[in-house]
Amino acid sequence: MRRWLMFALVAVTATRPAYADEPPALPAAGPPDPGAPTEPLPDTGPVMGPDDGPLGEPAPAQPGDGEPPLHEDNEFGPVIQIEEIDITGDTATQPEIIRRALPISVGDVLHASDKRLRDARFKVLALGFFRDVTLAVRKGSQRGQVIVDVHVVERGTLVLNRLWFGTTALSPWWLGLDVGERNLLGLGIAVGGGFIYAKQDGDVPGGRDQYAAELRVSDATVRGTPWGVSGAATLVHGSEPYRVAGPSDDNNPTSQRAFPYSRAGVRFGATYDVSALTRLSMGVRAEAIETTLPVAPTRTLPDGRVVAVDLHLDPGTSRVVTASFAFDRDTRPDPILPHAGGHLLISAELGGALLGGSYDFATIFGRYEHYWPLGSDRHAIAVKLAGGVVVGNAPRFDRIHIADVDRMLTPRALGLVLSTSAPLAILGTRADKPTYGDLGGSATVEYAFQLFRGSGKRRVYGGDVFFGAGLWGLAEQADLHARDTGVTAALPLDLYLDAGLRLDTDIGTFELTIANALGRLR
Amino acid sequence: VRAALVAALVAPLVLAVATVAHAEDDKPEIQRMRFVESGDELTVSTLPPGGIGKLFDTTAYEALNTGIPSSVVIRVQITPRDADTPVAEQLIQRSVVYDVWDEIYTLRIDQPGGRKTIKVKFRAEALKWLTSIEDLPVARLAVLPVDQVFVLKMVVELNPVSKETLAEVRRWLSQGNGGGLDRGGAFFGSFVSVFYNPKIADADRVLRIRSQPFYRAPP
Repeated sequence: MRRWLMFALVAVTATRPAYADEPPALPAAGPPDPGAPTEPLPDTGPVMGPDDGPLGEPAPAQPGDGEPPLHEDNEFGPVIQIEEIDITGDTATQPEIIRRALPISVGDVLHASDKRLRDARFKVLALGFFRDVTLAVRKGSQRGQVIVDVHVVERGTLVLNRLWFGTTALSPWWLGLDVGERNLLGLGIAVGGGFIYAKQDGDVPGGRDQYAAELRVSDATVRGTPWGVSGAATLVHGSEPYRVAGPSDDNNPTSQRAFPYSRAGVRFGATYDVSALTRLSMGVRAEAIETTLPVAPTRTLPDGRVVAVDLHLDPGTSRVVTASFAFDRDTRPDPILPHAGGHLLISAELGGALLGGSYDFATIFGRYEHYWPLGSDRHAIAVKLAGGVVVGNAPRFDRIHIADVDRMLTPRALGLVLSTSAPLAILGTRADKPTYGDLGGSATVEYAFQLFRGSGKRRVYGGDVFFGAGLWGLAEQADLHARDTGVTAALPLDLYLDAGLRLDTDIGTFELTIANALGRLR
Repeated sequence: VRAALVAALVAPLVLAVATVAHAEDDKPEIQRMRFVESGDELTVSTLPPGGIGKLFDTTAYEALNTGIPSSVVIRVQITPRDADTPVAEQLIQRSVVYDVWDEIYTLRIDQPGGRKTIKVKFRAEALKWLTSIEDLPVARLAVLPVDQVFVLKMVVELNPVSKETLAEVRRWLSQGNGGGLDRGGAFFGSFVSVFYNPKIADADRVLRIRSQPFYRAPP
């Protein structure tokens, strides 16, 4: 016999009890740990046909020899055999694309509660072509056989990847965009391209207006296999500035020169999905560089010394031919507003005369970031590491640019350099940091606070405020071998600071940050 | 100076967007519940008009007979009224699948007391089994000191999605543009892009519920 009301119900206030505004700090969402419930529970009442033993449902049509085995995964419910998969709603996408993404196929025998049936919706959504996917099961032609209805709601797959605009002392204005179509003609093939035009003000001798274009095509899953292929063609008509006099923070155009160049290249790649979250990729690149280099370029240092400037390019026409390999693993449940999981990206590229190129070099780049929720999911801390090393006689464009590691500078766009501004000198370390280096990276810690989360009814899914701080560094290996100043003054490091807002909306993702603003105006 | 100007222009926009969207933030619903000592355990029951039945809207209810499994995951915590550290936790999972041939619903209930498989004829019965909170053991009395005030917090999810699956569904967002010139951006930068961006929620629906404060009366 139960005792009633040994607990007094205490209404602290009549209208609003004294509870915290924070939502309960319960474990993160997701399927539960099956081992968690351990406490006894009294009988909950009469049931119709209790059945704690093995399944007693009528047997379906038995699979013949060579059929896939029954998928035992702690499932329940009747055993069914898939007789047909009926796809509807796919006005543009080829049904075969959807069929290949499904974890089930005709002839499979499984329990009605099988994990594959539960996952099917998400496997199709993971294609990125659909707004929604619903599944239903109906009777087939014989008892035990079923028809799986897959209804998809297609969505626009046009993507504006990048929008370039800004103004700097070097380039009064630049404008460009990169767009893509992720599902060309419903074939699951992605195409895209970008174009940018950057006006040069003419004050830098040798400078000229710049433009660059790129076309891309890729198929992430060739005929439903884990293999994917990609190709890209690029064309760059640019001019590279270099300093001939003055300190590095001197933006006087007369202290700089520029030389013209053009690049035309193609890339071909293949990818292999080791798992849903892990991908290997490999590729080859062939590029022709045409440039008119100044004869024996020099720079007059502030102390009056004159030193040679290495522009890291062969005069006239040269070729870059490389082979590359990359590893990518991304476990972040939400890559836009991450609060958990990690992302690892490692890439190695090898170029040389053996492959037909003019430059013998190798590069290794890596990036790792990991997010940890703090207490509740509202707060998160992240560590972000990125870096690379260039070995050998790498062409100028394959070296690490200072804006690659210092996000408070104007980033390169389609390979074009748009600013010659020096980095902010915050730590008082080496003032004359190189524009290009062969050893560079950044290490930052970021704190993100969940400003809000929405269901998308108001077109906004969520927003985070973040604060990041860390160090960035860029050096040429020769500088590390000898120094003529104190250790602190020689360190090619400085501070990175950033803060801003990340927004995830149903029309895309946006970052409004201090570094982003600085990168468009300096 | 220009950067500061831009920041000054952007900041109000950001705050406006944040304020509008903040209204959607999830707040726990306060429900009156019945707590009972049963042996050495505390049990809880929801009271009308409360409960977790609202987890199922018309669409979710109709989906029960599609033959695709549905599941309800209930996470229960009891915490001191003024703290978030739980003194007791429970995890309950209830799943149902419709047999299109025999036209019955098979439910699997995983909760304190072990696993139970039940078959019912009608969808309304299945819904009741999925959403009933009746004399549910939630804590041992030993962890609930007399006279200390507690609250029960409950997060109820319909068809929750694992973090791995969420990562897989949204992975295409971070796969870059297929290897272009902007190597620096891929390794060091961030991305900002515009596209039709549907988002898969962590669950079809989530209820966050809090009980009224309660305490054990002295014997």
